[in-house]
Amino acid sequence: MSGAGVEAPAAKPAGAKKSAGKRGGNAVKPGGGERTIVAFCCHECAYAAADAAANARTSLPPTVRLVLMPCTGRVSPLHLLSALADGADGAMVAGCLEGQCHYREGNFQAIDRVAFVQRLLESVGVEPERVRMFTMSAGDPPRFVAAVREMDRVIGSLPPLERA
Amino acid sequence: MPLTHRGREIIGRLPHDVAIGRGIGCEIVRHEELCVGCGTCAKNCPSGASRRGDTFDVNQLLSAPADSRRGALGAALQRIARHAPAGVIAVPERVTVFRTIFYDEEECLGCGACARNCPVEAIEARPAVVPAAPAAEATS
Repeated sequence: MSGAGVEAPAAKPAGAKKSAGKRGGNAVKPGGGERTIVAFCCHECAYAAADAAANARTSLPPTVRLVLMPCTGRVSPLHLLSALADGADGAMVAGCLEGQCHYREGNFQAIDRVAFVQRLLESVGVEPERVRMFTMSAGDPPRFVAAVREMDRVIGSLPPLERA
Repeated sequence: MPLTHRGREIIGRLPHDVAIGRGIGCEIVRHEELCVGCGTCAKNCPSGASRRGDTFDVNQLLSAPADSRRGALGAALQRIARHAPAGVIAVPERVTVFRTIFYDEEECLGCGACARNCPVEAIEARPAVVPAAPAAEATS
């Protein structure tokens, strides 16, 4: 477990780099077992929870890449879809608890946008579970870790996303 | 919309080729490929000719040109699509863009409020076309 524990702090700089180089595409080998999940994290809650989880040396699945967002209200359908199109197998949005958004209703907008993207995916025959919204508070790192592991489990059970 | 008595009187005094159809107005040309589906035109429409729908036709994304906002989303969707879009989807309340705008030409007054207020200049209000003008201009 100590080896895995080192992973979690390392996930953070990787996430920071990922946000800069996301557009370039970090393609996963087709058919390979390795999956990639992009987690768009709210600066006020989920990223703080991730930080606390890392400080507590909790291990995160190696598939997840964190992207820092000022608020989940910034996440647009294009962010989620281009993450999927450019190499991710799944995308998750992690924001504040409902009614506790730092900017009042950013997470409600994110919830609806995620629902919209799920319907878009469904209409073209892609599993809607590949995009999902989670809510948590900053003081609840176990919930963040549980959300990431849940996402990792769901994406791991799906076949790699095929791209044209 | 029928003109008032005073309106008809004014039209009667204009050269005959200015008064077209059921009133004076601009020819409204909608560039659907530039539209982001925000519904600002519908909000500003005095006659209800433009209406913001609660649904979205996914095929609109795929037919949009690549350099437009809808086109960028459509290109991403196209890469991961397993089959052609199944059609119309419902749009959640807080998703303010990506909606199909319904435009009823019959209801339109040609006032151009939609063109003035469109944030992405997807609507053009051209000078009214006289019925005698060349067919190519009139039907475009």
